[in-house]
Amino acid sequence: MGGSNMTIHLKIWRQEGPEAEGRFETYTLDQVNEHMSFLEMLDVLNEQLVTEGKLPVEFDYDCREGICGSCNMVINGKAHGPKRLTAVCQLHMRNYSDGDTIVIEPARAAAFPVIRDLVVDRSAFDRIIEAGGYVSVKTGSAPEANTLPVDQFNANKAFDYATCIGCGACVAACPNSSASLFTGAKIAHLNKLPQGQPERKNRVLAMVEQMEKEGFGDCSNFAECEAVCPVGISISAIAEMRRDYMKAMFDDN
Amino acid sequence: MKLDSKVPSGPLESKWEKHLNEINLLAPNNKRKHHVLVVGTGLAGASAAASLAELGYNVTSFCIQDSARRAHSIAAQGGINAAKNYPNDGDTIRRLFNDTIKGGDYRSREANVYRLAQVSNEIIDQAVAQGVPFAREYSGLLDNRSFGGAQVSRTFYARGQTGQQLLLGAYQAMMRMIHAGKIDYQPRKEMLDLVVVDGKARGIITRDLVSGKIERWSGDAVVLCTGGYGNVFYLSTNAKNSNVTAAWRCHKRGAAFANPCYVQIHPTCIPVSGDYQSKLTLMSESLRNDGRVWVPKKKGDERNPNDIPEEERYYYLEERYPSFGNLVPRDVASRNAKMVTDDGMGIGPTGRAVYLDFRDAIDRDGKEAIKAKYGNLFDMYENITGDNPYEQPMRIFPAVHYTMGGLWVDYNLMSNIPGLFVAGEANFSDHGANRLGASALMQGLADGYFVIPYTIGDYIAGNDLAAVSTDDEAFGEAADASAKQLDKLLNVKGDRSVIDFHRELGKIMWDKVGIARNREGLEQAIEEIRSLREEFWKNVRVPGEAGYYNKYLEFAHRVADYFELAELMALDALQRNESCGCHLRDEYQTEDGEAVRNDEEFSFVAAWEYKGLNGKLEAELHKEDLEFEFVELKQRSYK
Amino acid sequence: MPSLVEAATSQVGRKLLTGITGLLLLFFLFFHLAGNLTIFGGEHAMNIYSMTLHDLGWPLWIARIGLALVFIIHAWVGISIWWRRRKARPENYHVYSSKGEPSRQSLSSRSMAITGIILLIFLVFHINTFALGDTGTVLIDGREVSDLKTLVIETFQNPLYAFGYAIIMLLLAAHLGHGIWSSFVSLTMKSRKCSDLMYTIGATVAILLALGFLFIPLYIYFTGGCGAMIAGSQCV
Repeated sequence: MGGSNMTIHLKIWRQEGPEAEGRFETYTLDQVNEHMSFLEMLDVLNEQLVTEGKLPVEFDYDCREGICGSCNMVINGKAHGPKRLTAVCQLHMRNYSDGDTIVIEPARAAAFPVIRDLVVDRSAFDRIIEAGGYVSVKTGSAPEANTLPVDQFNANKAFDYATCIGCGACVAACPNSSASLFTGAKIAHLNKLPQGQPERKNRVLAMVEQMEKEGFGDCSNFAECEAVCPVGISISAIAEMRRDYMKAMFDDN
Repeated sequence: MKLDSKVPSGPLESKWEKHLNEINLLAPNNKRKHHVLVVGTGLAGASAAASLAELGYNVTSFCIQDSARRAHSIAAQGGINAAKNYPNDGDTIRRLFNDTIKGGDYRSREANVYRLAQVSNEIIDQAVAQGVPFAREYSGLLDNRSFGGAQVSRTFYARGQTGQQLLLGAYQAMMRMIHAGKIDYQPRKEMLDLVVVDGKARGIITRDLVSGKIERWSGDAVVLCTGGYGNVFYLSTNAKNSNVTAAWRCHKRGAAFANPCYVQIHPTCIPVSGDYQSKLTLMSESLRNDGRVWVPKKKGDERNPNDIPEEERYYYLEERYPSFGNLVPRDVASRNAKMVTDDGMGIGPTGRAVYLDFRDAIDRDGKEAIKAKYGNLFDMYENITGDNPYEQPMRIFPAVHYTMGGLWVDYNLMSNIPGLFVAGEANFSDHGANRLGASALMQGLADGYFVIPYTIGDYIAGNDLAAVSTDDEAFGEAADASAKQLDKLLNVKGDRSVIDFHRELGKIMWDKVGIARNREGLEQAIEEIRSLREEFWKNVRVPGEAGYYNKYLEFAHRVADYFELAELMALDALQRNESCGCHLRDEYQTEDGEAVRNDEEFSFVAAWEYKGLNGKLEAELHKEDLEFEFVELKQRSYK
Repeated sequence: MPSLVEAATSQVGRKLLTGITGLLLLFFLFFHLAGNLTIFGGEHAMNIYSMTLHDLGWPLWIARIGLALVFIIHAWVGISIWWRRRKARPENYHVYSSKGEPSRQSLSSRSMAITGIILLIFLVFHINTFALGDTGTVLIDGREVSDLKTLVIETFQNPLYAFGYAIIMLLLAAHLGHGIWSSFVSLTMKSRKCSDLMYTIGATVAILLALGFLFIPLYIYFTGGCGAMIAGSQCV
């Protein structure tokens, strides 16, 4: 136990469905412990709302340890809130002060329609992976694992891109609603590895095409995505994607 | 109820091959005519869905999350075991088998465990080929580390995110088959019931979590990969949406629930900080490779830990278990943490924590080396607690982590309901009374990639499966029952929230059906669970309606199932008059607190049959005797 | 496999095109500035420069058409990116702010579309004023050539022109501040060190270029066109 309590004012976007008109509602919580996570603070709000006979605020969450990528909300205009390299489920209230007003909105993008309140539909990400974000290896057909050495540097680089949790903060924060960081990260992960080479060309072409189809905006190199990414994926992923795309275009073999 | 494990005869090493040689095959053109419903998209579910689709089956894949990639396997940190023996330290399939059987305290089926060890190597091959970025040495070859009590280095890892990387591999394999049109992908759908037609599992009922619609799905087999039930404790390291509902509803349709009392409590979690706490965060136990666990010798010592001199520190694991030290298995580490805190040596404001100290490791290897190994875990710890573990020892405490119990399955991973297969944490099969570190990922993927794809073919080829329409009476009955239950919950309109009930249930479970149990406590727990369950159905308040996204409604029916499961867990713990693995009964231990097994009377799998619920849970115990032909049963000792 | 046109108009292609055309326009600006600075050369330097260019004949026309094409592509892609951005986020955030480092969101990057459009409009006036402007003639080595220099000096006596140009050049600096670095990123510069260095270089070049351009109108205005740096000027 322990930790000091504070009063927090909340201004939260409420929306009943994708077509419904949304609006802000304001709430005040006066027993917010500094050790609470941000989502626990919302749990407390919801318990209060349920007790009052009102509908709780819907938001996506699952693991609450920053890895599943379910949570995604825009807090005072910043995806996942104020803290760098932190998903909102791992943001703690000690980052706020007594009397603060916090504005919470859903990720806003045409490709992420609102389902309810702060819950959005991110299935576009699945479809981008579906277009080519894999190595086509059938179960059982894999060669012995150590037959193909991968130099440590590239293995680490690939990991840095593979660590994407698919939360969509990059899209939410991008002034253009671009999904380039997400798409680039998967392309760069697989294309950095020898296992990814056979499908390198098709992968980048197909995934870029799907990204466009889903209605995400263009990348204008704002790099805001990197700033909000809870796992710190670098915009070099986007450069990798562009490089591979060009190579794929001009490689006739 | 007849429990036939269908373990093939013959030498342990050749059982699986013999079985593969003997089972029915289904020609590729026939596979196309069959439809398999795979519920859950964790390691087991995603790998099963992808592998079945690759074979030609039509697969429908369901998950409750908004994307298959978010299943809770994603949170596994430490690693995955395999008997590759790359480090040349003498590992073999047999040794991995021995360790797993011993780690499970001789409460698992030999043949299943041996098969698990056998296919472990193929899993690594498969994952590497998918592009899973495992840690590598400078040579470019795969790196291994020793993990959770193993005396060989057989654990493959991808920083502290092995589960994530393996799951993304399986998820991507699944996405590939969606693209190929072989998987019908149904995210945000929750399974509410199993449909049994003519004694066979032929379909499921789901709720669309966005529209609230109750839907019916038919198929030739159902593969349940819905994970464990650790959230019955309210606080656990499980994801908030992890739940037992799918498995429990199958149990109520006739599937036996095996060993529900086997719950693994993970020793290295971040302690509870307050009532608002919604979940507990695991710190990978790989930390115990370099961190030293201790408490101050003086009770209630409130000094800064760095000011407590060496001679006043009690390194209780190192002192009590000189050969394994800080690397004793999870159950031993957890129990000892409870013992020292029960003795008043616990630290922090709640007294429910012990130190995990990296001071000596940092002095020895340097801060950079420690950072390279554990950087992300240290960051996570600092983020959550506000303390810097490079300067202050971490505070840790055990938390519910994994459930070894689950639906009973035979060697084919089929439950006692024909056509209902159960894989991954949802089944009971491979870990006995305690799971070794880095074995969950191994089992989930073994089941999904290398067991289910064969055994489902055997079942489908060997059974006459006439098409079943979702208009069938059984579907109607199950769909109506599901809808009715939701209505009932919504119409209680009581005063207490679902979470409030769940928290109270969790406390009963943690206090009385947790790290250590005894007859008196378990009997009390059963009474308390019953009366709280009764109150739940009279006084729960579920907001909103069923026709739209309503998280509290989802929680409500999951908690309703936990109330029933909780009683079964306590019943199971009560009947097992011994201590084994994670199940410690205070009555059955040596004077210095070591567990005492009773192999004479309890060397069996406790498989419970649901008989109804009438104020109390009616459950009938069936026993599958465990025969040990190939290992000698020993009292575990990590001294 | 997409066709070249499809590839060029894909998200990646569009950005590559913006980057390439942007850099080409940057080279043109260097060239243009060098030309402008001839006003500080000898008495006839600017008019000789202008005459030499015109004497090139058809290569000049190729260069002009090429430049126009580059400019059109740059503007068209830029506008289409801006247009897609509006479609990609139909409802804006009510509160929005950047998370800071390593974000490159700045006044410069956020106003690319606006500064770009203003520069486009400016260009029309600019061509009208100088390229198509009504110049008198001047005799150089017995040849009658158009007197661009006088037109420039006269034009910038007008405060509206002088300050208007200066302000536009500040907008150019803003556009290039993000644009130069962004071009390199679009052309797949990856390394973090390169990126940081390029950002500084890009912003510095942008400022120097703009200062170079805006110095001329302001100098002319404040010196009444007869400052010491302009040889052979006739003060009015």
